[in-house]
Formats: sequence, C-alpha cells, structure tokens
Amino acid sequence: MNGKIEIIIRPLAFILLATILCGIIFEIAGFSAILMFNSILDGAFLGSRSLEKSLRWALPLFITAVGVGISFRCGFFNIGAQGQFYMGSVCAVYVTEYMSGANAVIVIPLGMIAGMTGGALWSLWPGYLKLRYGVDEVITTLMSNFIAGLILVYVTSGPLKDQSGSGQQASTKILPSEFRISDASGVSLTIILITISVGITGWLIINRTSFGTLSSLAGRNPTMLKYQGGKIWQLGLVSFIISGMLAGLSGSIELFGPSGRVVSGFLPTHGFTAILVALVASYAVIGTAFSALFFGGLFSAALFLPIFTGLPTSAIDLFNAIIALLITARITLGKKFLRNRWSHSHD
Amino acid sequence: MLYNRNSDFKIVTEEHKDIPAISCRDVSVSFGAVSALSDISIDLPLGVIHAVVGQNGAGKTTFARVIAGIVKPDSGSLLINGKKIVLGSVASSRSTGIELVHQSFALPPSFTVAEALEYGSGGGIGLFKKRDLNNRWRRHLEALEMDIDPRHLIQDLPIELQQAVEIARALFSNANILILDEPTAVLSPSGIAGLFKRLRRLRDTGVTIILVLHKIREIWEIADTITVLRKGKLIDGPMELGWTKPESLAPMIMGAKSLKENISRKSDENSENKVLDQKAISTLLKSKKHALEIEGVSTETTDHEVSLENMSIKVYQDEIVGIAGVEGNGQVTLLRVLAGLSDISKGKIKICGQEVTHFNLSKRRLLGLRIIPFDRNMEGLSLTSELWENWVASELAVTPLIRWINPMKIKERCKISMSEWDVAYNSPEQKASDLSGGNCQKLILSRELNDEAGMVVAAQPTRGLDIGATNFVWTTLERARSRGCGVLLISSDLDELFKISDRILVMLSGSIIRELNPPYDLEKAGRAMVGESG
Repeated sequence: MNGKIEIIIRPLAFILLATILCGIIFEIAGFSAILMFNSILDGAFLGSRSLEKSLRWALPLFITAVGVGISFRCGFFNIGAQGQFYMGSVCAVYVTEYMSGANAVIVIPLGMIAGMTGGALWSLWPGYLKLRYGVDEVITTLMSNFIAGLILVYVTSGPLKDQSGSGQQASTKILPSEFRISDASGVSLTIILITISVGITGWLIINRTSFGTLSSLAGRNPTMLKYQGGKIWQLGLVSFIISGMLAGLSGSIELFGPSGRVVSGFLPTHGFTAILVALVASYAVIGTAFSALFFGGLFSAALFLPIFTGLPTSAIDLFNAIIALLITARITLGKKFLRNRWSHSHD
Repeated sequence: MLYNRNSDFKIVTEEHKDIPAISCRDVSVSFGAVSALSDISIDLPLGVIHAVVGQNGAGKTTFARVIAGIVKPDSGSLLINGKKIVLGSVASSRSTGIELVHQSFALPPSFTVAEALEYGSGGGIGLFKKRDLNNRWRRHLEALEMDIDPRHLIQDLPIELQQAVEIARALFSNANILILDEPTAVLSPSGIAGLFKRLRRLRDTGVTIILVLHKIREIWEIADTITVLRKGKLIDGPMELGWTKPESLAPMIMGAKSLKENISRKSDENSENKVLDQKAISTLLKSKKHALEIEGVSTETTDHEVSLENMSIKVYQDEIVGIAGVEGNGQVTLLRVLAGLSDISKGKIKICGQEVTHFNLSKRRLLGLRIIPFDRNMEGLSLTSELWENWVASELAVTPLIRWINPMKIKERCKISMSEWDVAYNSPEQKASDLSGGNCQKLILSRELNDEAGMVVAAQPTRGLDIGATNFVWTTLERARSRGCGVLLISSDLDELFKISDRILVMLSGSIIRELNPPYDLEKAGRAMVGESG
C-alpha cells in the first residue's frame, strides 16, 4: 500500500516545493508571488475555457510521457522523445500527401500507424547501438533529436513545403478538414479517446504483463535479472520501441489535430517536458496523467502571464527548471540510475 | 617475540623498538546487528610488513578502516606509536602518519599524475604553474624510485602504476604507517612482483605496512607477520612467518572447529544408509544419472576473471559436490560459465544429460538448473523491488515478454511459498531491502529450489548468515539431494564443505587439482588448497 500512496504524494510534493521556491524567487525579483500564482491558476484551470487549453497540451504530453516512463522504468535513459515526436509527424504527413484522395477513415489510422512506426524506428537505432555495442543512449538519443529536427526542416522547406505560405515559417500545407481529428483547440472526442486508450494500454503493459514486471527489475537491478535468465536486450529493445511509438503517435496527433500541418521546429520543448512529466510521476501511469495535466496547465498559463502580471512567458520556464532541479537532487534515484546504467553498459 | 626474519630493517631506532606501531585494545565494531569486529586486542610492531588475512566478511577491511579512522569502533582504544588517538577521525589518524590505500583507487582519471597527486595530497585551491607542479611531483616520484611521468593522464596508466601513484600520494604526507586493502586484487603477476618490491623498499626505510590479503601464496611472499581474523574475531597474530606453515594457515582462515563432530556425523549417516534395502540400492545405482557434467571446459583469459583450464566436474543426481578453494581461484568464473554469462572457449556442459554448452540461461533453467549466486544483494535479489517481483523473476524470465500476468495471484502464490520457506515478512509488496540477510537467502531458496530444480549451484550460500539460517540452508541442500537433485556447493568455508559434501573437489588457479573423500582430513585439505602435494 505504501507504494501506492507514494505515487500520489511524490508528484504533489515536487509541485508544492517548486511552487514555494518559485514564489520566493518571484518575490525577490519584485513581483507579487500571489498575483503570479493566481494568474497561473486562472490561466491553467480556473479561467473560462482554460481547462480546455490546458488539455490541448496535456493530452499529447501524457501520451509521450507514458512512453518515456516505460523506457526509464527499464533503466534506459531514452531522452529522444522530441525527435521521435518529429519523425512521427513527418511520417504521418507523408501518408496524407500520398493518399490525399483517399477516404479519411483510411488515411488517419494509416497516418497514425506510420507515425508510430517512424517514432519507433527513430528510437530503435539508438536502442540497438546501446544494446549491441554499449553506446551511451543518453548521447545517441539526444543527438537523434537534432537530426530529426533537421529532417523536419528539410521536409517542411523542401519536398512538402506549402508554397502559398507567408514564408516566415516553413511548413506543410494545412490538411483538408476531413483529415482533421480536432480543430485548433486540440481537444476532441477522438483525441481524448486515443489518449485514454494509450493510458489503459500503458497501464496494462506496466502492471499486467511479464514485460512490466521484468522491466522494472531490469531498471532496478539488471545483474540480478541476468542471473534469473532474463534477456536485458529484449526488454531494452521493446521498451525503446514502445517509447518511440508513443512519441510518434503524439507527433501524428499533432498533425491531424491542433496543428493541422507540420511546421518546422514546432512544439520545440514537447519531448523534454514529457521527460519531466514522467519523472515527476515516477513512471506510474496514473501519476503521469496528473503531472501531464499540471505541465499542460503551465503551458497554457504561460500565454496568460504577460497580460496579467507583466512577467514574460518564460517565467514559466522557471517552474520547469526548478522541478527539473528538484528531480535531479533526488540523490537516491540518481545513484541507482548511475549504477544501473553502468551495469547495462558493462554487460 | 622477534621480528628479524629480514635482517635489514634495522632503521627502526633503538628507543622506539619496543613500542608497537599500532596497538589495539578491545576494539569492537558492529553494523546494526552484525558484529564486524569483536574485542580485537593486538600489537603490531614497527617497521615490518604485517599481513591481515581472513575470508570475506572476516573483518579485515573493517580493521583497516578502524585504524585509518574511517570507521568508528563502538568500544576500545587505539594507540599509534604509543600515543592514544581519537577514534573514528581520519584527520587524527592521518596526523599520526597513517595512510590508507584504497581497494579501488580514488584518483580522478582525467587528471595528470601531478594534478592527481596535488589534489589528493590536500593541495589548496589557488594558482599554480604547471611546470612547478610537474617538477615538484617528479622529484617526489623519483625519491620513491617510481618511474612515472607526472604529465601522463591517470587513465592512460596501467593499473599497477595507478596504484603506485596512489601509494606515492599516501607517502607524501610523511606516512609512517601505510595500510593497503587488497592491493593485489587488481594486479597482474608482474604488477604484484613490482608492488612487493616497492613495499619491501618502503619497509626498509622504516615504514610500517599493513596489508589486507587473502591469497596464501602472496602472504608467504611478502609478509613478515601474519594476523588471522575470522568472523570478526582475532584467531591468532601477529605470528612471525617462520613459526607457521601454509597448510596450517588455511584451516585457521576457514575455520574447522567442529570438524570431528562432522566426521562422526557423516559416518553415522553412512551406516544408516547401509540399513537400506540392498535391492533398493542396486536399482538406485542403475538409475543414477548425472545432473551436471562439465567436460574439459576452458575459458579465455580476461582482465576481470580467473580463467578456467580444462575443468571437468561431474555431479550425480543425488549428491552434493563441494568445490573448495581459496577465493579468487576461478570460482566466480565457474559460476558464470554455468549460468551461461561467460563464454567458454573449449569443452562441453551437460545438464541432466542434455548438452547446454550453447544454451542461454533461460533454456538451462528450463532443464532444471538453479543458481544461488555469490552476492545475494546484487546478483540474487533486486533490493529496491518488491518481494513478489523478486520471487517471480525467474519464472517470468523464461516466458514470452508480452504475456498477461495476474499480480494478485502471483502474490498469493508468493505468500504461500514464503510461509513454506519460513521467510519472515509483512507483505509481498515489501521491498526486498527490508529483509534480513537470512530471510533474503530464504527468499532466494524459495524461488530457486522448487520442484523442477534438477541441479543447484550454490555459491557461498551461508556467507554472513547466523547459525539458524546457516543450518536452514544446509538442511535445504541436503533435502534437495535426497529428492534427486544434484548440488554443486562452491564455498571457501571448510566447515561447511566438510559438513554437507559427499565429496570435495579442490580448485586452484582455475583447475580442479584434487578430489577429497570422507572422512575429510583437514590438513590434507589445507595443503591441497594452497597447491601442495601430499
């Protein structure tokens, strides 16, 4: 039972502590912390339609973060969600391009499958390098983000460039409305259903399959699992694939949903925020839902902030940064992580 | 007592000759409920090389750390050169000239030798000229006759030179007592020779050296006196080397106190067996099969492991075969080879009649192989995982990855199994780290020794356990044998081996060199373990 309570308390404790620290910094900087938090709360959850705006960010964050969590649980620090997200959107947009005449009922699922495949493949090669040759996945997945970002630039300003665009931002054409699963608000029944089914599937994988139990053991003590006959490389590859798939799915949802097109460098912090979301939730699916909602709320509040308080939007980054610092300061986790990463790479 | 085996340590000044370099009085240390050292009182004379020997967990390292001030004893006092020092303070130990060279080196790998020495000898923060630094440390290294360029990076040095740098660092602060914890563990034979040469030279300049060692051959090569610890107690010492023999040392280290009892118990059992129906015995003999066959197995030499050379072991389905040997003679490699975690270059392995040489561990497990690894906290359990996860790991590891499981049912089965095996626990959702060592081992036994077990490899299964848990483990292994399960017991505890093994194979430098049969002869076993014939 302790574990279950901890899953809820830990994210709350992080958020509370981060709020207090942020408040202190705001006060020192000469802003009213109370006003600040009021407006964040307003912008995130309480204001009219603000919950919807928060969900717009929270839903894709949740999907990506569930995947990130599965990979982290297994002891692999796959921080390539951003690139996998981009590759997912790129693969999906190609499907819409080549099947532009087909029925939406075929195109949208195919696009999403393409997105998941793209994300999975983009996660697979760092995973393979790690498991076959012991190449540090932190470095390869991090670098894979930049490569994916450049591929996105190429696609949006080259082969699939929208010629009618203003030219300020390279992007693909806006999808015809029958290919969209939501309007610009990013909240629709379809997206919510997809998110819920990802949540349920993720929960089942973690809690009700042998993979879930074994990957947790692999993340905590791979040596022990090897002596039990566990195949770390299998677990690793599957976890890399799942996390890539989900990030890629997010990318394709972004295309079919709120954005309606692929834009060079869009949602530049999505994958990294998803890492924070997963870490705050200690990789538990239910906790991830709450922490995704929280970070989504911060995103949406960021747009309100300058209007009410005179603070720049980037003040929200302070929040993210402090939470990241608090997570890093969780020394016990850090040590375990280092040890496990060590034993993975010195197989 | 006289300590003049080597006549050339006369540098010790006359007036200090009678004052011991280190004098411990009733030092006791316990970690939680475990007593690491109990009432150690010992005087170590000045200017000689002392070897502190014992098995893992005997308290050698703790002893070294008490002297270095890293561990604060619960009681007792410590006199250095006749002066009482503050216990548990590194600064205070250092100020009297004690320096500890760690088991694994603490030198920053990306520093140059000079930088590492400056940093390690407590050099302050400030500006310095690189050339001055290099020159200063070059002089120091030259004075110690160490041929090391201070401009080289630590990570580029071979391990023996890294160790030399560590020693140079320790000696900079005019150390007169140098403690080395398992210094030979990381070295090649030529590196060991170099280290020993270096240590002898230091001794001749008047430095007292304390070596924590466990290889008997090395002790004979370097030490002037020997101190034996076992289970936290001082067994004997400091003994002058000439007064003792290698073959009498092994039993002292391993302990063989209840030897006679064992032998008589063993023969009782044998006579009981004779009562068995003659017919039953003959059918038993006909159906007797090998649970494990290792045929001429060799492994490649690596840096980390002692290689096996043409090793052959056969274990019947109803016998316990003990592997005796001083630690570090290839026992770890043997276990890893059996577990399929280390590759073999030559030979065959069969489990229950089926060749498994190229099988991975999960396939071998399906044939009945079970492993109780050396380190139950790192290799046997995942301490931060829940009990039921630990318990079900081997079962899940041999099934397809994406298979539905029902944790509630697994937890129920785990509960039943843990009660059967007498594990003291609160809930299957507890972390394994909550359990005591004995209960951890019982949890491992409950997982490994289920009905499908056909061949159990148990490595040091009772290390660190109290008497109750130890007996439990022994009975368990004996019960497995009577059920028709082969048992290979790898141990460096002769008491244990004599107690439950049907025969004992002695392992030395990666080979089996002798087979011993009951009634066991302690002296013979001791001699065989250090490689002496007779």
